Amino acid sequence: MGNGITRREALAVAAGCITLTRCSMLGARSAVPRVSIVRAGYTQSIYDTVRRLLVEHRVDVRGKRVVVKPNLVEFDPGTTINTHPMLVHAAVEGFRALGAADVRIAEGPGHRRVTLDLADAAGYFETIPQFEDLFTDLNLDDVSQVLLRDPFSRLTSLYFPNTALGADLIVSLPKMKTHHWVGATLSMKNFFGLVPGGIYGWPKNVLHWAGIDECIADLHAAFPRHFAIVDGVVGMEGNGPIQGNPKPVGVLVVGGDMTAVDATCCRIMRINPSMIRYLRLAAGPSRLEEQNIRQIGEAIKNVQTPFDLIEPFQNIRL
Amino acid sequence: MGTNAGIGAVGRTSGDRRDSYVGTSPGMPNRAESVPAKLMDLASIIRLQNHDGGWPYRNGGSSWTEPTVFALLAQSAQPGDRQSVERGLAWLRAAQRQDGGWPPCPSVAQSTWVTAMAALLPADQLGRACHTNAINWLMEQTGKETSLAYRLRNELIGDGAGADETHRGWPFFPGAAAWVTPTAFGVLALEKARRHQAAIAVEQRILVGREFLLDRICKDGGWNYGRSNVLGVDAPSYPETTGQALLALNQVRSAKVDRALTAAQDEARACQSSEGLSWLQLGLQAHGVAAAGPARKLECRRLVDSAVSILAQAALGGRNIFLE
Repeated sequence: MGNGITRREALAVAAGCITLTRCSMLGARSAVPRVSIVRAGYTQSIYDTVRRLLVEHRVDVRGKRVVVKPNLVEFDPGTTINTHPMLVHAAVEGFRALGAADVRIAEGPGHRRVTLDLADAAGYFETIPQFEDLFTDLNLDDVSQVLLRDPFSRLTSLYFPNTALGADLIVSLPKMKTHHWVGATLSMKNFFGLVPGGIYGWPKNVLHWAGIDECIADLHAAFPRHFAIVDGVVGMEGNGPIQGNPKPVGVLVVGGDMTAVDATCCRIMRINPSMIRYLRLAAGPSRLEEQNIRQIGEAIKNVQTPFDLIEPFQNIRL
Repeated sequence: MGTNAGIGAVGRTSGDRRDSYVGTSPGMPNRAESVPAKLMDLASIIRLQNHDGGWPYRNGGSSWTEPTVFALLAQSAQPGDRQSVERGLAWLRAAQRQDGGWPPCPSVAQSTWVTAMAALLPADQLGRACHTNAINWLMEQTGKETSLAYRLRNELIGDGAGADETHRGWPFFPGAAAWVTPTAFGVLALEKARRHQAAIAVEQRILVGREFLLDRICKDGGWNYGRSNVLGVDAPSYPETTGQALLALNQVRSAKVDRALTAAQDEARACQSSEGLSWLQLGLQAHGVAAAGPARKLECRRLVDSAVSILAQAALGGRNIFLE
């Protein structure tokens, strides 16, 4: 954290690490964002679907290092809490097919330290060949300190895993879920898993004290080279992100602008995206408006599935 | 890396020092049989040692405090390599910060909860001054939620629900709230210090830390990583945190602890991770109970899993390193 950093340390960090700004992110998203909604299931066809979507979004990863970041949270024999392994594998295969030099799967769960055991229970070892060789536990990866320029939160710097910092593209693969603190957890909130538990603990409570919404917006800005594929085949409603109930929606939501992807997911869940504080912080209200996002594939109204909301979030209903 | 076959029997361990406990099933064998079928052995752990003397979390990584401590603890549970131990201790001494605490790794400019891990090493090995400074650092730490300013704020906005904020545990990272894992290790570290040098302040801090743990027991009898209830919904307990809390509550007798022992035995039978099972075995052994693990074999996949498994096996054999 920034507290107590000397000027010398700050200069060293600035020289040695990537300094990331909101400006760079905003510069990269000047065009109208495109978001695809496609119907999908956890079947073999998901491989073709993902590959087609990556081509459709002209994701150029030739010779690049790609980090695919699923959402691994809890031991769950079902498909509700964690990103489905078949979707993760489809993304890995898709980016490989597009010529990526290296595709890694990486995650740093927020509550549980036993990441590989979580992945095993979620079916990752079974579904993804050589999973352990492909996987980096971001909670235990070597780290570098990164200054946060113009942060939304009170933090002035964070330590990040070198695997994430070295990626040319980070692909957020979250579940479509409600969240008991921030309303909805989608591609942006999934970046909490980039913050190393080995430094901040389990949970990464420093982020809570600095403001969850603000930190989500900071992480979004800190990793501007991103792409999102949201697992909405089966989401979670009610008391998410762990103790909610399965919510089948049967879609993937995909795009290069995470604020637009998450706003679209919210509309599918019948949540007003402008009532999600971190979306407002990261995008500003006008950028979240439906007419400012170019929807591809299924129309929102055709797949819209109201998610149950816990009492404190009844006011975010669309 | 290996497996931790949790095939065992419920009963007292051979090293049970607390015969008064009556919570175990009668007629069970004296010795747990939860011996891993295959484990990342001590020799493999020693081979992972970096040139600088520390240990990484994963093969090829840089040295971190936590795996270094676990590799050293494992070498005190089984005959290790003297040179390796000396190099490890030297790395730890060099990594200690001016404030007496340890950072998670040398590139991090902040002492954190891993200070409690380092303070679990014997003071005569680590160095008396190093150990004393670590204990002094730990004595200064508490969860931010117990600060006067935070409690006053809660009173003003009428947010008095949830856990009692007067119980002072330890945070993972200074300036954050207290949690079960760092509190359990904080208590264990202070207990070690107390055994060698009694001090009223240390004694009191142990009691306060234990009160925090007892306050956080979940409805199912075990421990979640944090609160037992969030937004009116009961939180489930986890094997790792349940085992760690029971370990820190050694010698504590209460109905809550008895219920926790039963819950821990249930958790052990359903456990899905080797590390979780090892912590349950360590925690239960501290109360004279041996855990029956799940029928399926659990793999040790990392250095820490493997080291904790070695420590659990030593405990089941009668030597619980955390309680020495």
